[in-house]
Amino acid sequence: MKIELKTADLLSDLQSAARVASTRSAVQALAGVQVVAEEAVELRATDVEVGLRLPLRAEVSRPGTVVLPARLMLDVARSLPADEVSLEARATEQDVEVVSGSATFHIRTLRAEDFPPLPDANDEDAVTVPAAEFVATIAQVARSASRDETRPVLTGILVSASGSELRMVATDSYRLSIKETKLEQPLAGELEANVPARALQELARLVAQLEAQELRVSARQNQIVFAIDGAVLSSRLIEGQFPNYRQLLPDSVEHELRLAGGEFAEVVRRISLLAQKNAPLRLGFREGEVTVSAQTPDVGEASEAVPVDFHGESFEIGFNPEFLRDGLESVESGDLVLKLISPLRPGLIESADQGGFVYLVMPIRLNV
Amino acid sequence: MRLIVARCAIDYRGRLSTFLPEAVRLLMIKSDGSVMVHSDRGGYRPENWMVPPTVIEETDEGIVVRKHRGEERLEILISERLSDVSHEMGEAAPLVKDGVERELQELLAAAPATCGDGFRLVRREWPTDIGPVDLMCRDREDDWIAVEIKRTGTIEAVEQLTRYLERIRRDPAMGSCRGVLAAQEIRPQARVLAQGRGIDCVEVDLDVLRGEREPELTLFAA
Repeated sequence: MKIELKTADLLSDLQSAARVASTRSAVQALAGVQVVAEEAVELRATDVEVGLRLPLRAEVSRPGTVVLPARLMLDVARSLPADEVSLEARATEQDVEVVSGSATFHIRTLRAEDFPPLPDANDEDAVTVPAAEFVATIAQVARSASRDETRPVLTGILVSASGSELRMVATDSYRLSIKETKLEQPLAGELEANVPARALQELARLVAQLEAQELRVSARQNQIVFAIDGAVLSSRLIEGQFPNYRQLLPDSVEHELRLAGGEFAEVVRRISLLAQKNAPLRLGFREGEVTVSAQTPDVGEASEAVPVDFHGESFEIGFNPEFLRDGLESVESGDLVLKLISPLRPGLIESADQGGFVYLVMPIRLNV
Repeated sequence: MRLIVARCAIDYRGRLSTFLPEAVRLLMIKSDGSVMVHSDRGGYRPENWMVPPTVIEETDEGIVVRKHRGEERLEILISERLSDVSHEMGEAAPLVKDGVERELQELLAAAPATCGDGFRLVRREWPTDIGPVDLMCRDREDDWIAVEIKRTGTIEAVEQLTRYLERIRRDPAMGSCRGVLAAQEIRPQARVLAQGRGIDCVEVDLDVLRGEREPELTLFAA
């Protein structure tokens, strides 16, 4: 294999591929990036869960396939001195010669046979969705997905699409995000799958990098494949029953308060600075105002009052500051509606403009 | 237990041949046939040893230890006996589990659902022929679940539970027995290994189990 290309193109693709390549697999080839040079060139990486195929703009002098250590190749690509680079496999030495300007590297290859095949995007049943809406929906719910690998079903985002509606749901059992996006054009097919949040976040980066307008999505037996402008991102689907999130949404609430979203989020961000070491953020409601406060022993305390149209018996409710902030920041610009029932029942944050975003968050017990 | 302090040389022949020249050493001969040769240095490991079953013979030159089967032979050539005493040790006390681990076992036995939705306890210290597994439970579908409890879930803990499961599953009635590793903290490497072997990991909060702290409020039982 021998290819010549621009250093910037190599670097750009390697940055994406290195994120997907495994960092802890016993199979060495999975820590590598596969360079496949045929008529066109493609970079491939996978950690078995997520797979990525990226087209690479390059001139092919001699076709071939090699697997190179992803992290090392990325570091090398970052440091190359010239705008052009060539990669040439040397079968006898079992390495690849990387030449850029006056710099030459010889990088040992990994076992190509151990690198698994990755799915392609040829699927007639694929659903085409607008990339911008899809990625914006991911951004609004992804923070609620769990990072706790002991509960794999919660590490995914439940993606449903049919007709003119795209819905994504994520929960880590402490909070739940639901975003329903109305699509301008109805979809030709439908889709429902629990996709690892990590794969969707990678997809969002890829869409931004490629400035893609559309995605083609196909859910197969146990995997989902996204085709984005020639690139293919695949992911295994998460098995198991996703929680019945609809039954978690309260039928009625005691208080429904409209707040200026950005302003209230700022207050919460400020006061949270003094909610350290697992200290809760407190919202104290009384006639006409809510006081946001926090106190960390041996560190200090902070409070700020915000006018709000609250009527009724005063009460105080505590939240994990990060979870509350995530909910407030996920609401798109404009007012938000905060719905509360009691200090030990979940609070609900919605966008006031019927934006289709709902964030349910459990409070923290307050000892005092 | 016989303890001999002697000036001796050790000649071992078996998987390989070694010779320890004459020096003062402690010879430990256990009633189960184990023989260990210690010097005053080198840490806890014996310089040489023989595991039971063995045949131990006293000769004019010293002691000869042979394996029941095979060619392994440890010859202890004694030139001077400095001390030779025997002690009746009685019944060996069983291994006492670490206090926290034992408490965790008691608390989880009282609340097995902490280890998994719908779990109910069948027996603590479920015996297998390589040692007891901490809890044996059944779930809502009446499937068997072996629960191993540790303070810290390590790769060794996963290996231990894997060994138990292999023994338990030999019983056709328990062929589908699953495994759960429950610990206050589970190391990432152990988690990866457990996942690869289909073993579930559960981190438990001792303070919550003790009732000293209320559990965190959640939207649903995860």
